[in-house]
Amino acid sequence: MNKYLELALLFAFVLAETVGMWRIFSKCGRKGWLAAIPMLRRYQMGLCAGRDAEGRQLALLESGVAVGIFSCIFFKTGSVSYMVAAFLLLLLIIPYTIFSIRVYFGLCDAFGRNRFWVVPWVLCDWLCALIWGFGSDFKTAEGYPFDDEDAAPEVSGIEADLTAPGLSINITRRTAMSLFKRKVLLRDIHLIIPMGHMVLLLGGSGSGKTTFLNAVTGYEKANAVITLGDSNVYKEYNSMKYDIGFVPQQDLVRGSDTVYRTLSDAASLRLPADMKSDKRRERINEVLDTFGLTPVKSSLVDKLSGGQRKRLSIAMEYISDPTLFILDEPDSGLDGVMARALFEKLRVIANSGKIVIVITHTPDRVADLFDDVVVIAKDAKRTGRLAYYGSVYDARIFFGKKSMEEILMSVNRREEGGEGRADEFVRKYSALAAGGEV
Amino acid sequence: MDTAIRHTGRVRQTFVYLGKLFRMFIFRNDWKVMPMAAFISGLVSFVVGKKMNVSMEGTLRGAFAFSCICIWNGFFNSIQVICRERPIIKREHRSGLHMTSYVFAHMLYQAFLCACQAGITLTVMMVAKVKMPATGYVTNAMVDMFFTMFLITYAADMVALFISALVKNTTTAMTVVPFLLIFQLIFSGGFFSLTGNAYKLSYLTVSKWGLTALCAQGEYNSLPMTSLWTSMSKMRSMEIEGEKPVDEMLDYITASKRKDELMLECASNNQEKKYESSMENVLRCWRNLGIFIVLFSFMSIVMLEFIDLDRR
Repeated sequence: MNKYLELALLFAFVLAETVGMWRIFSKCGRKGWLAAIPMLRRYQMGLCAGRDAEGRQLALLESGVAVGIFSCIFFKTGSVSYMVAAFLLLLLIIPYTIFSIRVYFGLCDAFGRNRFWVVPWVLCDWLCALIWGFGSDFKTAEGYPFDDEDAAPEVSGIEADLTAPGLSINITRRTAMSLFKRKVLLRDIHLIIPMGHMVLLLGGSGSGKTTFLNAVTGYEKANAVITLGDSNVYKEYNSMKYDIGFVPQQDLVRGSDTVYRTLSDAASLRLPADMKSDKRRERINEVLDTFGLTPVKSSLVDKLSGGQRKRLSIAMEYISDPTLFILDEPDSGLDGVMARALFEKLRVIANSGKIVIVITHTPDRVADLFDDVVVIAKDAKRTGRLAYYGSVYDARIFFGKKSMEEILMSVNRREEGGEGRADEFVRKYSALAAGGEV
Repeated sequence: MDTAIRHTGRVRQTFVYLGKLFRMFIFRNDWKVMPMAAFISGLVSFVVGKKMNVSMEGTLRGAFAFSCICIWNGFFNSIQVICRERPIIKREHRSGLHMTSYVFAHMLYQAFLCACQAGITLTVMMVAKVKMPATGYVTNAMVDMFFTMFLITYAADMVALFISALVKNTTTAMTVVPFLLIFQLIFSGGFFSLTGNAYKLSYLTVSKWGLTALCAQGEYNSLPMTSLWTSMSKMRSMEIEGEKPVDEMLDYITASKRKDELMLECASNNQEKKYESSMENVLRCWRNLGIFIVLFSFMSIVMLEFIDLDRR
């Protein structure tokens, strides 16, 4: 076939699809003219289908496929360039088809149509676009868009006092870029944690708890001002990082080293360089005692029990005697008795004037040990928001629940088996913090 | 809060990690790479050792095999060392670990391993009575040989260290290794004649420079070439008009004691400039292997500096 005829046909198909998609976008309440922009068209399709991640991937793949098709048309058939272009096109067409199918499934759901429609969509998308776009029977399903909820206002207008003693957190936004979209992971979180408090950080999976903690420690900077005592955590990060201990969820310790050596190497990294060696040894022994590791100090880490290993992981951070001590699920893998004993140790640390923040998924067995609870919840836009900060006792009244796990269920999204009341509590807490009526 | 507190610097951190690595050498059985090196070099000496540094073909085959052993050792020394503890490094980076110290500690530790392996390989070669080069072009023959083998192992080790810093887990690292090995074998220029762009690609392999250095030290260009004699011997029974001219010719050459002369003459027409036995050539190979070491260790540091971007 003549090259120009091939191009003309290609153009006609694209044009037909554009016109059809224009109408589909309008039916979905989106700007129809976006269908005229090649890559954006795929992304918008993904949005209409409620599958924006797939839409973004598809947009990117489409650009590659387009380059491949044009290369195949322009290179001489049988030449090396043609073969390379054809090979790359083949490689791209496979994921392109898979992602298209995913988006078409979403589109079928959005229009309340049988999923068998995916087959004609894959085989002849331009014709399907015209039918769905201009067919009066093709309307979006009842309740579309399905995740449209009464979202909480984006900004509460509340700010934490930066001069207050303790940890002042003022996070305006924490965003992350993903392909073409800037996603807001956290928004509008303002609170002050006094010294000597042990705080429970509560939130469902993916609500942004770890992102919040990383923002607080300055490890992943947000649009925020965080102060610990008189120091600005972000501005003085290089020195402040030694004053903040962060214990990750997994026990990230080398198994083939001894307990004492592991702790002594941790001390070498975290303690001041000019600290006398006898003082350093004293501190190591003190921390070994605090966490009950003295009897196993010569053992290899691989030989430790789960509880001992967890305590070693905590001890590695505690060695520098941090003012702010953060632990991400320190009780994972521990039985109730061991977990309780561990949290009691953390309580003792908090009582010595430190701030201890803990994430745990089984909070009720140790709830009495905490002073405060911070509840982070995913709002209607899937952004982590502050749904509550206050005492454990008041939290039960605020949420009208008897236990921490019930509180968690109330803010978890419906698709996660929760009550989906996150936005309600975000609004309620904003009003409470602003001194208004609840 | 005192913000002027000084924490452990790069030099001290290097020694902290070096200590850690040597403890792992003992406790995590990292020492097992030593007997492995002895076993492989024993096998190779048994198969190709007899002809090495004796004939052109044997030297090329032997140099190729021994440079492959070194590359194998180097790859397996470090292909998993970083990726298997990546989350730990990320945690330690958060607590003030300098990546330069971490990589430098690895470089020192791996240098120790590679030197031991090079020493073991040489010892096994001597035990297996592989003929060693008589002349040293930079220092003495044995030291030159040791240094070449050490550099090949260490350069391969640093390439693998970079891969280990690049990938996120051990599965990916071990998937990459066969491709790296095949690339080294094909583009060494030892067994497949490379031309054009393929020949230029061989400059990017550790095996090419290792092979070249070993051939240069083994005086490849001064050795006899046996392949012609071997081929002709196989044609002894060929008859032309009732006579056996090849058989007669070979008998004549043998009787007149000119076999060695023929093989040397044959070799003189097949000399390779790239295997020239000279100090300049050996030093050039060492320099290029050194470039691999510096370049890949630097790239490992650069890759690890981005460790904080790892997703959970």
